[in-house]
Amino acid sequence: MIRPVYYYSLLLITIACKPSPEPIRYGSDKCDYCTMTIMDNRFGGEAVTDKGKVYKFDAMECMIMFSDSWPDSMDNIAYLLTNSIDKPGQLTDARNCVYLRSPNMPSPMGMNINPFADSLIALDQQARNTGEILKFGELKGLIYAP
Amino acid sequence: MKRLPVFCSILTTLIILGRTENPYAEIIEGGPGINRSIREAIRIAAPGDTVRVGKGVYSEGNIQIQKKIHLVGIDMPVLDGNGRSEIFTITADSVTIEGFVFTNTGFSYIVDMAGIRIEQGKYCRIRNCRFNDTYFGIYLKSARHCTVEGNIIRGKPQNEVNSGNGIHMYDCDDILVKDNEVTGHRDGIYLEFTKNSTISGNNSYQNLRYGLHFMFSDHDEYIGNTFRRNGTGVAVMFSKNIIMKGNNFADNWGPAAYGLLFKEISDGELIDNKFHRNTVGILADGALRIRIRYNNFSENGWAMNIFGNSMNNEISNNNFIGNTFDLTTNSGRNNNLFLHNYWDQYTGYDLDRDGFGDVPHRPVKLFSYVLGKVSASIILLRSFFAGVIDFAEKVSPMITPVDLTDQSPGIQKNYYAGNQGS
Repeated sequence: MIRPVYYYSLLLITIACKPSPEPIRYGSDKCDYCTMTIMDNRFGGEAVTDKGKVYKFDAMECMIMFSDSWPDSMDNIAYLLTNSIDKPGQLTDARNCVYLRSPNMPSPMGMNINPFADSLIALDQQARNTGEILKFGELKGLIYAP
Repeated sequence: MKRLPVFCSILTTLIILGRTENPYAEIIEGGPGINRSIREAIRIAAPGDTVRVGKGVYSEGNIQIQKKIHLVGIDMPVLDGNGRSEIFTITADSVTIEGFVFTNTGFSYIVDMAGIRIEQGKYCRIRNCRFNDTYFGIYLKSARHCTVEGNIIRGKPQNEVNSGNGIHMYDCDDILVKDNEVTGHRDGIYLEFTKNSTISGNNSYQNLRYGLHFMFSDHDEYIGNTFRRNGTGVAVMFSKNIIMKGNNFADNWGPAAYGLLFKEISDGELIDNKFHRNTVGILADGALRIRIRYNNFSENGWAMNIFGNSMNNEISNNNFIGNTFDLTTNSGRNNNLFLHNYWDQYTGYDLDRDGFGDVPHRPVKLFSYVLGKVSASIILLRSFFAGVIDFAEKVSPMITPVDLTDQSPGIQKNYYAGNQGS
């Protein structure tokens, strides 16, 4: 009689501990770095740790700066997600996005970093608005540049 | 009746004199009666001309203004963007727009469409216009020495995402925003990388996020504005030297609503403002060297919440009246100066009659500290238990900052009289 209960509770524990992303509630969720209310569904971001803790951000700039004072190291991050200009309102893997940095396309935190899920659309926008296209790994060096 | 011809001739003379003031300007009429579109009228106008637009509804899509003209609407003509386009795009200097209704601009994720956009214009003026249901109302990009005055900007956002800012300034210098009414937008008035600008006499209410929002903007001032029932009244972020005088912050009420939010700012002045019925009057996160003087805090949940990373601020001669909590902090130390404030919860006395209490006042209650840690403990507010721990802490401070005191609190309310004490 004990066994099924044991398995069942083990199953419950595994389900309960699995980290998963949470939808951003635009207009009420606050950015965990700058405390601004997240309003723009082109620029929001989210990080989920292994333990299931969810951090939300209003822009990539805040996500990168927050990662500097990350409670755990970046390796313990299960999900690193961002909205994008071409798929507003959808969270996609931030590491797979490309980032168009153009003086003609402002972003919420002033560094003109615009995430694109599709690199072809980013190239098209680059042709219209000028600017440079960056990968996720290049953002940190940009933000901490003197 | 004999005087009428005299009056008429004076009037005519005045009109002629008025014309000679700008002898080359012509008045060009546009509108349905004249059978000429606004775009056509602008095309044939020479720089310096006045284009008068008659009453009616115009759906001409996006109109580019690339020369110095004075555009006047007679009886508030309506310019309809049909949900597709931006309406006026100004790329010239000294353009004046007056007396139009802008409605129904387009919405796009790539381009921020506005009722009026000024790109790199100098000395432009936008006066007495109305903006109904525009994505962005007025969008100033890299503009200099412009004036936005007496406009009414009302948005009806279906959801938060489909709302831009009422008056949006990006990379501007010396802008005057005066006596406007802004409601129903993301931020009522927004300044990013904008210097030396003045925001005065505006009424910004029921905006979704902030009534007024500063980002990376230095040396600006806002004076005599009213911020009511916004998500948060005013947010001043990552900025320096902002002067805040004589504003009203009222009814910014909600689980995360503040009258005024400071985030990473330094060297400002906050003088003679009123904070009434806000959940939190001021939230200071990373505020340095701000002089907070002669402000009134009444009937707020928390009058002030000062985080431990806020330092060298001076909080003096303010009035704290009828707030649930006057002050709270998340730090065990105090790095700010509190002096001569009037606290209605002060229970000391003034035996030497110098107008200041003889016993220091300790504005942080232990219970407000507990509440900061465990928000569910709000249920114990005004309970016997909360009273006991507050009293015990008052007698011998253990947890709240020992040095956070007002050494000589005011016995009577402080009144601001001009620039004293600055």
